Amino acid sequence: MMSKAKRSILYWIILAPLVVVILFPFAVMFVTAVRPRDELFVYPPTWGFSEFRWENFAEMWVKTNFGGALLNSLYVSITATSAALILSIPAAYAMSRYRFAGKGLYKNFLLMTQMMSPIVLVLGLFRLMMTLGLVNDLNSLVITYAAFNMAFTIWMLQSYFNSIPRDLEEAAWMDGASHLTSLIRIFLPLAVPAIVVTAIFTFINSWNEFVLALTMMRSSEDFTLPVQIYSQVAGRYQVEWHHVMAGTVLATVPVAILFSWLQRYLIRGMALGAVK
Amino acid sequence: MSSVTIRGVKKRYGAMPILHGIDLEIRDQEFVVLVGPSGCGKSTLLRMIAGLETVSSGDILIGERVINDVPPKSRDIAMVFQNYALYPHMSVYENMSFSLRLRRQAKEIIDRKVREAAEILNLTKFLDRSPRQLSGGQRQRVAMGRALVRDAEVFLFDEPLSNLDAKLRVVMRTEIKALHQRLKTTSVYVTHDQIEAMTMADRIVVMNAGRIEQIGTPLELYDTPANLFVADFIGSPSMNVIRGVLGAEAGRAFVELPDGARLFVPAMASGKPGQKVVFGARPEHCALAQGDAGVAVQVEVVEPTGANIQVYTKLAGAPFCAIFTERHDFRPGQTIRLDFPANKIHLFDAETGARL
Ligand SMILES: Nc1ncnc2c1ncn2[C@@H]1O[C@H](COP(=O)(O)OP(=O)(O)OP(=O)(O)O)[C@@H](O)[C@H]1O
Ligand SMILES: [Mg+2]
Repeated sequence: MMSKAKRSILYWIILAPLVVVILFPFAVMFVTAVRPRDELFVYPPTWGFSEFRWENFAEMWVKTNFGGALLNSLYVSITATSAALILSIPAAYAMSRYRFAGKGLYKNFLLMTQMMSPIVLVLGLFRLMMTLGLVNDLNSLVITYAAFNMAFTIWMLQSYFNSIPRDLEEAAWMDGASHLTSLIRIFLPLAVPAIVVTAIFTFINSWNEFVLALTMMRSSEDFTLPVQIYSQVAGRYQVEWHHVMAGTVLATVPVAILFSWLQRYLIRGMALGAVK
Repeated sequence: MSSVTIRGVKKRYGAMPILHGIDLEIRDQEFVVLVGPSGCGKSTLLRMIAGLETVSSGDILIGERVINDVPPKSRDIAMVFQNYALYPHMSVYENMSFSLRLRRQAKEIIDRKVREAAEILNLTKFLDRSPRQLSGGQRQRVAMGRALVRDAEVFLFDEPLSNLDAKLRVVMRTEIKALHQRLKTTSVYVTHDQIEAMTMADRIVVMNAGRIEQIGTPLELYDTPANLFVADFIGSPSMNVIRGVLGAEAGRAFVELPDGARLFVPAMASGKPGQKVVFGARPEHCALAQGDAGVAVQVEVVEPTGANIQVYTKLAGAPFCAIFTERHDFRPGQTIRLDFPANKIHLFDAETGARL
């Protein structure tokens, strides 16, 4: 028998290479983001920096129009997430509670759409948005993101809804609640953990999506964060790497922190949902 | 409070018939128990009364009102579910007051009713807890409390005690009965446990495979079961049954067993010599025969329970159980003679199973 301490050290050693591979880009990102410009390409490369330059962020914010892109990203992600949820919750409820013709077929269809990458559809989608007059309109992204995430959200919500006992709603009806009241006061509160998970998932997907955003958005005021950051790199004579990395830090870290905080709430919610 | 009338009610799931026409009149203030083996349709019938299942044909009435198409929320029925179905995100107090809050009752009235019910059910200490923090028996009581605060017309129970351990079940069944004697709300109680049925019911409805086999008071079912199914279902250990042929000799009727032994029975009004019958006698109604009266059986196992001794024997090759309150000292392998009081003997037609 190994002691617990020994065992965890062993596991960490086994995991170490993986951790390094994952953390390396982040480390480079952080270090580059806070360096003065003339230390960017010192040779040999070092991890240190002569001063911790907060100004990088401020300069980057102004120079790259970060604020505008941030608002665009927030608008697209929040609206797409809300739309996906508003449409998926009733769909998932119906899949979980009612029998209807073609239910199995519909389930398979949902699964199949997950096997297709959006990139094969990019051309078709672009033409569709042209016809709808939505090219260069953030709402085209809202629609496509919501649509592409819905298969997953319906699937995920449905399997969680199945685990919420029907008895609870029936008990509410017997207590004098209408269908709608029992949905709002009994069912939805219990479904919160699943709704939060799917919301996080959809939000992150939309937040990070690049290909469609690059295709649909033509003018730089409409760029979302990934496209905006990319535009600081692509086709430039001189790339301001410290600004690019500062932008990347700002685009990822707050979201990561927000969701790791939400996750705690999520686990509490899961325990709450457990019946019996 | 109200009567419940069920008239020719049938239930089909798709093409499959589950209930084949149920007629039942539950009187005001009565405690009726539906009992039967698993899958016989008890829950289905109860859920139809509750409005949770549609009625395929026939009528269900509460009082004088046909309620087939009335949604559950408007039926004024309270139901206790098998797994209690407590709202996990609400405290005990909120669980119990939910129905009253939906009806927008005044806060003081809600508070008074919940506290009254909690007092009756010994739940006052737990009002602020969440259902997760309660034991099985306490949850069961909260489920009862939720029904209690409502002053509903009818209470429905679907195997409310089946998730409890044996001891608690006995306690709770007495509590439920006491509660009914106090509130007198018309109640329909589903169980597959015949002891629960016998101890709690004003009247028992024995169901089997989507049909009612017999309706009666516990003692009626015990003393005069209408058919073999009821005879076997009611009573524990179950009634001994043995196949034979009815015969008569010198003015005395008897059942001749496969091995030629004769069990004398009171002269039968119905039933004629040569008819194939089933002879039934409850274990607790066996007596030791005087001299060479009665019938010889071979003792196999003797089980003293303290209050009595249960003797498992073989009669004409079939298992036969006898219970004595006297402290006989039987040995395995011993042959004893059993006799049956004439008024405690049951005879059934071997083909139809109906009582003769
Ligand atoms: N939704 C359904 N679809 C098809 N058949 C069903 C459905 N619900 C119940 N049944 C069938 O109806 C029959 C009666 O079921 P029910 O639940 O009423 O039995 P029960 O007497 O309550 O049994 P138990 O003691 O096991 O609870 C069963 O054979 C069951 O398979
Ligand atoms: Mg049942």
